Amino acid sequence: MKIQLTKFDKILLGFIVAGYLAILVYIFATGYHFPKLGDDVGQRWIYQLPFGNSLLSRVNPMTIFMSWAIMIGLITFAASIKVFTVIPGKKQSLIEMLLDYLLGLTKDAVQKEEFVRPTFNIAATLFLFIFIANVISGIPGIQAVPRNGGVVFTIFEDTWYTPTSDLNTNATFAVMVLIISHAFAIKAKGFGKWLKGFFEPFPIMFPMNLIGELAKPVSHSLRLFGNIMGGGLLVLIISYLTKYFLMPTFLWGFFGIFVGSIQALVFTILAIAYIGSVIE
Amino acid sequence: MELGDALVQLGKFIGAGLAMGIGAIGPGVGEGNIGAKAMEAMARQPELIGTLTTRMLLAMAVTESTGLYSLVIAFMILLVG
Repeated sequence: MKIQLTKFDKILLGFIVAGYLAILVYIFATGYHFPKLGDDVGQRWIYQLPFGNSLLSRVNPMTIFMSWAIMIGLITFAASIKVFTVIPGKKQSLIEMLLDYLLGLTKDAVQKEEFVRPTFNIAATLFLFIFIANVISGIPGIQAVPRNGGVVFTIFEDTWYTPTSDLNTNATFAVMVLIISHAFAIKAKGFGKWLKGFFEPFPIMFPMNLIGELAKPVSHSLRLFGNIMGGGLLVLIISYLTKYFLMPTFLWGFFGIFVGSIQALVFTILAIAYIGSVIE
Repeated sequence: MELGDALVQLGKFIGAGLAMGIGAIGPGVGEGNIGAKAMEAMARQPELIGTLTTRMLLAMAVTESTGLYSLVIAFMILLVG
């Protein structure tokens, strides 16, 4: 078989080969230090506040910045479609489809009519925040990495920093859902009946019921954390096999966008199910 | 490398391998079951394929989480401390 190349193909191939050669020459001439696996994997930029030395005086600045950035982005988006028209535009129909789907899920899981609306508000808020946070972990952007005792900001080397890859964010959401569900339960059934629910079917089952309730936020938060964090680490390890010669675009797309959107939906559905199961 | 350090490394690698390998059995079996049952349901009622696919992916994501716990544990054994 004879391979036929046009002039354009030859020029393109020449550019690609020249590019690879230039990278090789650069690496060998300057002794470029490849990021070693384990140098900055799982490391975070942690800032120690000036007062105290306890765990509570440490903050994770990137989580705070990115959370506020996502919140401001969502609020700006919401403000841009203030007027809802009868014939929906592009943005409005997207939002209507999404919220309608979530409302349907909430109506299926929550039996009491007066708690459908509050549960839906919580679930939709959680879904929008977590969905945006997960999807930007599939898009190249700004990342802060602690290196050599300082902090290095890398642009387009890695994906955006995600607040959901920090267990603090997920645990906050999960504990919030637990507290809200029990507050709703007290409101719906009254305090005595709610307390009696822990002693069913027999009083001796009380420790089991208590541990069952307390284990909910643990699994709820660790599921999201494990998916996002584990996906990020897997992408790092697989791209380390090719020594960073290839951008792991496909892996970012799979772990960031596909797994991320499914996990956002799973988190939301579980929150609805927890609230719905407690207030019955 | 001292013998003690070498033994620590050995323990780390074996432990991480066991954590990931054994921890992957459960989610594998579970996801297989979900996929098989979903296929049966789809073959019985082909008009529900859209709904069933979404529900199948959701159930798989929930099942997968135990495997991800063991992945996190394996990474922690290898990289932290």
